[in-house]
Amino acid sequence: MNDQSTSGECKKSEHFSRRALLKGSLATGAGAAIPNWGGLFHSHSIASMAQKLGKRCILLWMNGGASQIDTFDMKPGKATAGPFREIQTKLPGYKVCEYLPKIAQQVDKLGIIRSMRTTSPDHPDGIYHMHTCYKQSERMPHPELGAMIAKYLGQTDADLPSFVRMGPTGNAGSGYLGPRYEPFGIERNGNMPYFTSPYLPAANESRRNDLLRFMEAEHKKENSADAYESHRVAKERAWRLLKAKSLFDTTKEWPKHQELYGASDFGRGCFLARKLTEAGVPFVEIGQDNYDSHADNFVCHKANMQILDPAWSGLLIDLERAGQLQNTLVVWMGEVGRTPQINNRAGRDHFIRGWTIVLAGGGIKGGVVFGSTDADGRDVATNPVSEGDLFATIYTALGVNPRTKHFVGTRPIWATPEGSKPIKDLLL
Amino acid sequence: MMPNSNFLRIKFACILMLVSGTMSLAQVAIKQNKPESTPLRQTIDKAVQESWKKEKIKAEGKCDDSTFLRRVYLDLLGTIPSYDVAKKFLADQDEKKRDKLIERLLNDTQFAQHQTTLWDLTLFGRNPPNQDATRNRTLFKQWLGEKFTKNEPFDLWVRDLILAEQEGSELYYAQFNNKPEDLTESFSRIFLGTQIQCARCHDHPFTELLQKDFYGMTGFFVRLVVMDQGASGSGEKQLKKFKIGEKNSGEVLFSGNQKELKPGKKGEPVKPKFLSGALLEEPSLPADYKEPEFKSGTKSMPKPQFSRKEKLAQWATAPSNPFFAKAAVNRIWSQFMGRGIVHPVDNFGTDNKPTLPDLLDNLTEQFIAHQFDTKWLIREIVSSETYQLGSKGENKESLPKHFERARIRPLSAEEILTVMKVAGGDPEQKSEGSTGEYFRRYFGEPTNGLGDFQGSLSEHLFLNNSSNVRAFISRKKGNLADTINLSKEPWDQRVDKMFLSVLTRYPKDSERAKFASYLQSEPKSENLVEEAIWVLMNMSEFRFNH
Repeated sequence: MNDQSTSGECKKSEHFSRRALLKGSLATGAGAAIPNWGGLFHSHSIASMAQKLGKRCILLWMNGGASQIDTFDMKPGKATAGPFREIQTKLPGYKVCEYLPKIAQQVDKLGIIRSMRTTSPDHPDGIYHMHTCYKQSERMPHPELGAMIAKYLGQTDADLPSFVRMGPTGNAGSGYLGPRYEPFGIERNGNMPYFTSPYLPAANESRRNDLLRFMEAEHKKENSADAYESHRVAKERAWRLLKAKSLFDTTKEWPKHQELYGASDFGRGCFLARKLTEAGVPFVEIGQDNYDSHADNFVCHKANMQILDPAWSGLLIDLERAGQLQNTLVVWMGEVGRTPQINNRAGRDHFIRGWTIVLAGGGIKGGVVFGSTDADGRDVATNPVSEGDLFATIYTALGVNPRTKHFVGTRPIWATPEGSKPIKDLLL
Repeated sequence: MMPNSNFLRIKFACILMLVSGTMSLAQVAIKQNKPESTPLRQTIDKAVQESWKKEKIKAEGKCDDSTFLRRVYLDLLGTIPSYDVAKKFLADQDEKKRDKLIERLLNDTQFAQHQTTLWDLTLFGRNPPNQDATRNRTLFKQWLGEKFTKNEPFDLWVRDLILAEQEGSELYYAQFNNKPEDLTESFSRIFLGTQIQCARCHDHPFTELLQKDFYGMTGFFVRLVVMDQGASGSGEKQLKKFKIGEKNSGEVLFSGNQKELKPGKKGEPVKPKFLSGALLEEPSLPADYKEPEFKSGTKSMPKPQFSRKEKLAQWATAPSNPFFAKAAVNRIWSQFMGRGIVHPVDNFGTDNKPTLPDLLDNLTEQFIAHQFDTKWLIREIVSSETYQLGSKGENKESLPKHFERARIRPLSAEEILTVMKVAGGDPEQKSEGSTGEYFRRYFGEPTNGLGDFQGSLSEHLFLNNSSNVRAFISRKKGNLADTINLSKEPWDQRVDKMFLSVLTRYPKDSERAKFASYLQSEPKSENLVEEAIWVLMNMSEFRFNH
């Protein structure tokens, strides 16, 4: 906690920036420039701050578990194939589902793992496991990937939260890393969560906050405990977040980006993720609903892919255009894959013996298809990848040591389980 | 309630043990050194002060009266004193006023309530398993509340908890329905101060604990059956009742290290074994014994011919148990001193030595000699100079290792809610429907895996912007904001009243001047008063017990 800077005292510059912010957010409207937020006045300085932050990560979470056979690991001509046809991708000899035409053109950016073999077959446990790389049944407070990235790639004095998420996402929170790294959840439609709208007029709020700053400064003269400092820092963070709140509002820019990302909440979430990561948020997770197709798998997947395809490819294109792709790791995954066999309701059930996860951007080699399943897709044929291996790959790509150690009480816990190995073939 | 036969039987067993020559060294020591010869509070101070000398530590001096008043109110009752109480106490010239206050608080009905809240949280945690059963713990809290109201000896109420035969007490087991391993972890952690969960999956890496020790303990719980007795009410208020039965047969099957586990491998039955002690001696069942089939929906079952649960209760809570009394005093000590003499409190072991081993032994011996009298132990701790040290200074540690300064501990969610009501001048104020839930969500778990406090964004967004918090601050007939607005006293005096009501202290001159000018900065004071009270309730000074 000693590394966290604070401003218990009332600083001149903050009065100034608050006023500047009020002005600035009125003046901004063109959409192209990011509005003023916090102590930063120009998008130029935001970019340089993001530069300083280095790597970021966007997780596209396929809630319920997307089908590998109907997306990236197609089995044409087999009994398990289903009705979808293949289309050629940019990568010679590699084909994907016909409902991913835009992603097919981005395959040169993707590292596709077709050999996930995992161990938590259901939703709560799978969601937990694929967000923490540990089993839920251990009953240890493991932190999610987002919290870990927030801790290692976030900046303590940033105006924005370090772990932002939207839609159906993880269920573990910040665990043993503590509330400092808890997720900041935005509502599905992009609205800010509860308790982010002040009930006082701005002037009253401002004088009230200054009076608190005065009191904290008095208190600090005689009291040095870490706990007090943590309280003060969190209060300042909450105030700074509200100043930066306009950044979460995509009303102005969205019409211009809607075509690229597709007109959906998920697409808009992907655009917001792009905007937030560019502004320095190190981890953003956007969830897409309804992959759990025990019945009508094909109807369900066709509909989902039509939302997913433009949103995901739009994100990759937009990141590349902005020069951010090499710094931003984009992960596409859910908690389970889906069975090769099709059940009597035209559905596919949960499957963990051989399924697909896709990485792209920051630190990942594009145009690589790693591992494979057997002819019918009933098991991994080559290069099985565990939850731990996947997380070790993600952490390595982001520059975080996968064997980082923490303690719960006196018990040591590592970022990934013993024996987890990053996939070298996918790492730049 | 009259002591039941069980109570008498167990008391008798204790006495027998004391006279029958099976006394531990500790008990011998007590005999030679009469418990009353040196009050425990002095033993505490002597041991702590000697350690400062040895470590060359400069300690804080005694805390001032207002700090003490707030601290001891929070620790004993889970709330702060009202304005009137604070004013009177601070003006009181009686040299014995601290001792008198401690005595008054220990006999306040809220004392038992607060201890119940703390132990309920220890036994269930913020997110207990078996949500349907544990969401509404009214009956459990009633049961435990009665124990604290009567100041029932610690060993006796824990014994009743293990036996789970009194209405309400069954819920501790019911949360671990069909999960005897989870129950073993919880029980050993809380009452034996031992983290044996590592040994669930592999032999413990740092201690001599083996997997067989873990499953040996599980053997005492494996035959328990949670019998649903139906429910009353519905939704969040639904109250479920249970009875605990015990079968005549059933063993833990042990299948080796989790990592080397092969599918299909059948486990070996493990006999119950007391932690670091002997195997349980039990009569063997007839070879042809067949357990009656247990149907779901069964509401009662006969007592087993031989009860493992009773054997566990006897062993666990006996004065000669090497873990029990020590774990209890260490936990109760940490409740007031911020950290245990062994810290974390549930992790005794060769790899985690006590900071003041002699003091811990001393506390343990005296606790046993005083028949596990919790109130006595608490009185001695809070009466010590060590507990009454100042909380200021340059030391950054929130929980100083050598107890050289008072600890800084975050208020619990329950405490913050209660304290806001008292501070706002309306202790009886009903909170809006979801207020309690919000408080638990935003203040419930404020620490990381090491127990360090971490302020969170959501906590402050809630404090800054929620109407749930504002409801305790804004002007209502008769509350603090109303009184201040209506008062004709000079602003300086009104500021004093605000500070004393919310922070249990008078303002410094600089603070008084600042607030007085703030409150007069507009012709109408209503908004300003509300804002000023909000400021005091948002201070780090308010967030912690210090």
